[in-house]
Amino acid sequence: MNEKQFLDYLASIDIGADYAPAEALLEKKDSCAHDECREVKTACRACIANCGAIATVKNGRVVSLRGNPEDPMSKGRLCAKGLSGIQALYHPNRNKYPMKRVGPRGSGKWKRISWDEALDTIADKLMETREKYGAEAVFCSTGGGGNPEIWSIARFCNIFGTPNWFEPGCAQCYLPRVLTYTMMYGGIDPSIADSNALELYFPEDTPIKTLVLWGTAPSYSCPASGGGMVADLRAKGVKTVTIDPRFTPDAAKADIWLPVRPGTDVALLMAWIRYILENKLYDAEFVMKWTNLPYLVDCESKMMLRAEGRDDVYMVWDKTKGAVELSYPWNDALDVELDGEYLIDGRLCKTGFRLLWESCAEYTLEKAAEICALDAESIEKAIRLFADNTPSGIALGVATDQTPNSVQAAMAAATIDLLMANVERPGALMQRFRTSGCMDMPNYPVPAAMGRLPHEQLKKRLGGREHKGLGIWWAGSPAKILETILTGEPYPLKMWIDRSGNKLAATADSQKWEEAIHKLDFIVHMHMYPTSFSAYADILLPAEEWLETDMLVETCNTLVARQAVTHLWETVDETLFWSMLAKRCAQRGHEAMQKAFDAEYMGHDLPYWESMDEFLGHWVERIGMSWKEFCEKAPFEYLPKDQWRTYYVYKQPDPQNGYKPKGFATPTKKCEIYLESMITLGRTGHPFMPIDLEPADEDYSPLPYYMEPVESPLTDEEYPLTYTGGRVPYFHHGTLRNVPWLREMYPAPEMWLCPGDAEKYGLEEGDWAWIESRRGRTRGLVKVTEGIKPGSVYMERFWLPENLDKDTHGFREMNVNMLTKASAPYNPEIGTYTLRAFQVKVYKAEEAPEGVWLESENFKQWLPVADDRTKEVKAW
Amino acid sequence: MVKLAFVIDCDRCIGCKGCQVACKMENELPLGHDRMKVCTVGPHGQFPKLQMYFLPAMCQMCNCPACADVCPTGACRKDETTGVTKIDKNLCVGCGKCEKACPYGCVKINREAAKADKCEGCLAALENGEMPACVRNCSGSAIKFGDINDNQSEVSLLLASVAPSMVYGLRDNGSSPAVKYILRRDEWKDILPSECIEHVAFKRGGKI
Repeated sequence: MNEKQFLDYLASIDIGADYAPAEALLEKKDSCAHDECREVKTACRACIANCGAIATVKNGRVVSLRGNPEDPMSKGRLCAKGLSGIQALYHPNRNKYPMKRVGPRGSGKWKRISWDEALDTIADKLMETREKYGAEAVFCSTGGGGNPEIWSIARFCNIFGTPNWFEPGCAQCYLPRVLTYTMMYGGIDPSIADSNALELYFPEDTPIKTLVLWGTAPSYSCPASGGGMVADLRAKGVKTVTIDPRFTPDAAKADIWLPVRPGTDVALLMAWIRYILENKLYDAEFVMKWTNLPYLVDCESKMMLRAEGRDDVYMVWDKTKGAVELSYPWNDALDVELDGEYLIDGRLCKTGFRLLWESCAEYTLEKAAEICALDAESIEKAIRLFADNTPSGIALGVATDQTPNSVQAAMAAATIDLLMANVERPGALMQRFRTSGCMDMPNYPVPAAMGRLPHEQLKKRLGGREHKGLGIWWAGSPAKILETILTGEPYPLKMWIDRSGNKLAATADSQKWEEAIHKLDFIVHMHMYPTSFSAYADILLPAEEWLETDMLVETCNTLVARQAVTHLWETVDETLFWSMLAKRCAQRGHEAMQKAFDAEYMGHDLPYWESMDEFLGHWVERIGMSWKEFCEKAPFEYLPKDQWRTYYVYKQPDPQNGYKPKGFATPTKKCEIYLESMITLGRTGHPFMPIDLEPADEDYSPLPYYMEPVESPLTDEEYPLTYTGGRVPYFHHGTLRNVPWLREMYPAPEMWLCPGDAEKYGLEEGDWAWIESRRGRTRGLVKVTEGIKPGSVYMERFWLPENLDKDTHGFREMNVNMLTKASAPYNPEIGTYTLRAFQVKVYKAEEAPEGVWLESENFKQWLPVADDRTKEVKAW
Repeated sequence: MVKLAFVIDCDRCIGCKGCQVACKMENELPLGHDRMKVCTVGPHGQFPKLQMYFLPAMCQMCNCPACADVCPTGACRKDETTGVTKIDKNLCVGCGKCEKACPYGCVKINREAAKADKCEGCLAALENGEMPACVRNCSGSAIKFGDINDNQSEVSLLLASVAPSMVYGLRDNGSSPAVKYILRRDEWKDILPSECIEHVAFKRGGKI
């Protein structure tokens, strides 16, 4: 749909003919006296940080936003993205009503339809596709920013019977860390941008001395929460090390900045491990007693040695007795060797410690310096700062999630912290603090109903056998889905329901996805406003902005309500949409969908809900409240800070186990640096799969290893520069490129080149330049700066909402995902493809992309407009 | 005598520019017009030995404001009770002399209103017991505002907590700017806000 057509269309239609207004909401508005103001305490969702916010509402219209000081993480601050919520909410080009495409794909010809018609059409198509091709021919997706939660999509797929849902993040963003830290110690990963590392939000008393920001820039990803928190820590004297090829604010303020060559992080991490082992900087007592490094491993099977007939009693080497059982948690009568190799019953066995050493032995400081293009002395200084000043911790960011070496980076980073005993002690990032118990999974309360997916369907998950680590999120692999659409193998994919920002801006190798889109029978897109992807949809659905939605939010020891401040047009809460669609499938005889409305049958998976009040009410009922009562009271502390911050959970006596220490949530109850469970995962899918799947082609490695990027500056002569990405503080994933306040500050992506490279390729600051990879090319504005590693080029993701009506649909002009790589190699465990650290070339472009807006004046067309009378969708 | 001014801890400013949006929202400013901007100073030096800091720049709350000196109608003048220079929109004729006179680029003609416009410390918010929008929303808690003549105020205590050698002001061309910047580790650069281009697109269009 082009914008003019869209606007013309809106002007021409008879608004509100089809639906009764929402009496309750209108009453609320009407009860406001002239110029009556009220303040609503809610929570932002411009990114995923959920910062507490206060909306001022004047005569039913949101007129101002600010941070809520009751939020213990954002402490009353709100960033540029959050403050822009008003312009996002009242944007003239919101998706306002369900629309049906009436011209060819990409033609931008639309017709307004009712929610009834939209839901009926989609449900008919779903049932027809299932009948003709099997449920697996339907796939759904989420992601791309601004999504209220993700599990509704997985839930719908599981009950519908398709194993195929994905998001463009997942294996490329965050899942590598979730998977690894879960498996290695059973607690929360240390991602600041994902609102973890909660220990750090208490600068007044946290004893942390050194914080390593590895491939993360909280100043840019989450300024109001993580960015402010790191500023607080620096101000109290906490030392910081920043590892990033780009000179970010957090690099500029660091005590040591290591501008690593993009994609070589694991080599650097391995050098850290080696140095810590070689110089015995690790916490010897913790490593011996609370990690599995002294355990003996059979070199042939790669499995740990167990006591005869026992799966949960492990063997160690006693200096005088030889191989002996170690009763949990420890036996002081034994004299255990940490490092060694032995022949036991004719089998070569080594301790986990020895195997760890062997895995990193080649990564001397000098070797890492050579690979990562750093100097050895700076690397040593950084390791010393970290290891000599504990408690310390590595906050691992998204950078390492975006290459096929993703899981190995997380394994290596966790290993370093575990060697230093930076876990569950005051000051450590890896913690298992208490939760409110209100939700089974904090902040993502929709039950994914994984057990509802029939096992024969589970076996068909695209990428599910090869990349079994995706099982922790029950997700499919986007690369495999792309390949399947294009080839029709192993089975046809026909129908796509996507809830998210711009898929063509968020998935690797955008042009390949466009090609794939044309092979599909039916596409549904649901979002707050049209994106490039919308142009290809058959049905377009209007989603609520965060100021229109309700959600239960837990932030440290505080519970917060995101509550609908207003409601515009015919937008629907996405968490409710899937419920509405489920109902239509049930009405058409889908048995599992019919049962999904039966409370008794669904049990913990919950029956589908008819309102957000009902859904959220289920959770807050646990603390004796209705959703309405909760909204009136929130935010509030559910536990005093000191009771909430539970340290040393592993030492707590466990009544279930003879009051022995509880240990870690791993098979050995120890921190598993030698990650045997990775091998089991690859062979069977355990512990994430309810059935044994066929083994992956090769065993997953129980220890980290470095993989040189497949496109590497060491060997590539045609494409000499290495691309790297990273955030700016104005946008979240694909969102907010249509917000005037933000676009006037950052109208187009800057392409950062160091002065030497700019000169070499004939570019000057302010030039438009092409950046080209083996997949495609796109444009950016050259910025010549010392703040980027020589040989690397940095550019932010971008798409142009102003060009939706052009042939490009706004996703080709300045989108780095025209360059990224969706093909092999993939990370073995989870299938990560290549979003960073691939090779490009740059050259001058004669002109700017056609239609790009750069001047403040342009963005006036996107300023808030008067809204329609508030309506509630009654489509039940 | 009360002298309200900003004191900014540059070591805490993380360059997120949330303050710019907060200011626009609070003061209902049109697109293309700002009362403040966060300037990126640097990176200076040679890779990898670099430094960079951020400089939130708004009205420098001058003791001898050049903007008031040149105002032909008396619209622009220093308020003696707060020490803040304000523009009386009823008197302003939009001649633009103040815009030219301000050495810091911090007074500008709001082209939609055709009046001069500048940061006045969100005095209305102050009357409601609230800090200016940029201060309230500052993600790094870098921007502070208060009476620098009261030695017990937050801003005075902050200034007193650092060595005088770490306290800076923008280049003084005779207007005696009162806004203070704290920078502890990095080397202060004598740079004016107008010299900082925040996005390469602005360089092309000549926009500051």
